[in-house]
Amino acid sequence: MQKDKTVKNDDGHTPARFKVGDRVQVKDMPNIFYTRTQNYVRGAIGTIAARTYQDLIPEDEAFNYDGRLEQYYIVRFRQKDLWEEYPFDSDTLQTELPDRWLEPVRS
Amino acid sequence: MSTEHKHDDDGDGHEHPAAPMVEEITDYEVLEIAVRELAIEHGLFTAEDHRKFTEWAESVGPAAGSRLVAKAWTDPAFKARLLEDGTKACKEVGVDWTEPTGVGTPSDYTNFRVLEDTPTLHHVIVCTLCSCYPRPLLGMSPEWYRSTNYRRRLVRWPREVLTEFGLVLPPEVEVRIEDSNQKCRFMVLPVRPKGTENWTEEQLAAIVTRDCMIGVALPQPGRTEDVHPIHKARRPVQSSSQHGSAAE
Repeated sequence: MQKDKTVKNDDGHTPARFKVGDRVQVKDMPNIFYTRTQNYVRGAIGTIAARTYQDLIPEDEAFNYDGRLEQYYIVRFRQKDLWEEYPFDSDTLQTELPDRWLEPVRS
Repeated sequence: MSTEHKHDDDGDGHEHPAAPMVEEITDYEVLEIAVRELAIEHGLFTAEDHRKFTEWAESVGPAAGSRLVAKAWTDPAFKARLLEDGTKACKEVGVDWTEPTGVGTPSDYTNFRVLEDTPTLHHVIVCTLCSCYPRPLLGMSPEWYRSTNYRRRLVRWPREVLTEFGLVLPPEVEVRIEDSNQKCRFMVLPVRPKGTENWTEEQLAAIVTRDCMIGVALPQPGRTEDVHPIHKARRPVQSSSQHGSAAE
């Protein structure tokens, strides 16, 4: 069931700030009742692995709020950066996050 | 749902009052029933529609996913199309993610991506938030995939969890966990195993089991089922008849 996503703004999109390969840090924003940004990635630094689609953020869509469509990204992290004393150097984890949950990292 | 029942071994044959067989029901089960009944009342769908859809959803298996992998292994141009646009390539194996009445999914979740393994990169998929799964291609998810046990532990201790499935990977191989927490749906494209040269697509599809496409198993010649331990009955009923099992 495709919902109509009415968008308030003229072009309807928040500009995508990141491209594949950019280093990003996950923000730790307060969330009320609902979020899809896992606790275990908050504050972690990763790399943009892919751009997927543009959509409302989950925190708006869950409450049927209108909002701007944002770019979603697949972000890749080293397991060693997510977990203390993770023993395998090469292991990674990917997950998907919208634009506003990410901040640029100066290399 | 409510039935009277008698215990055969009750000496006095007393009747139990009508009661649900399940003593407890979760809030979410109550919510589902309430929403479903309201939807039927409001004519959004009929009870018959719901039954048919539930039965269909429960009957879909991983065959389309297996065909997809076998096709990618034998047809490099298809594999390129699959990696470029997974959702569109699925139509070539008869799965349309946008069409709810076929084997698609009636939701917004129509972004399908394939995770390509290499000899030094092994993907495994989880949804830590709930249990997102590429149902149009693989059917219903297995119980363990939806368990908090799997969802919590795979991201933290992936190699230990994979070992429990019988999959041990050397440290040089990168294990990459995909936590599908948004609208993308994922499937693993495993490395084609040795010993399958000149196999047909059907032969290849037969060894691509559901567990291989989640990433907790590797496809191998001769392995056509996700192995589960067989537990024999500890006290099997002995038939008193000399002519075999009374159950027949």
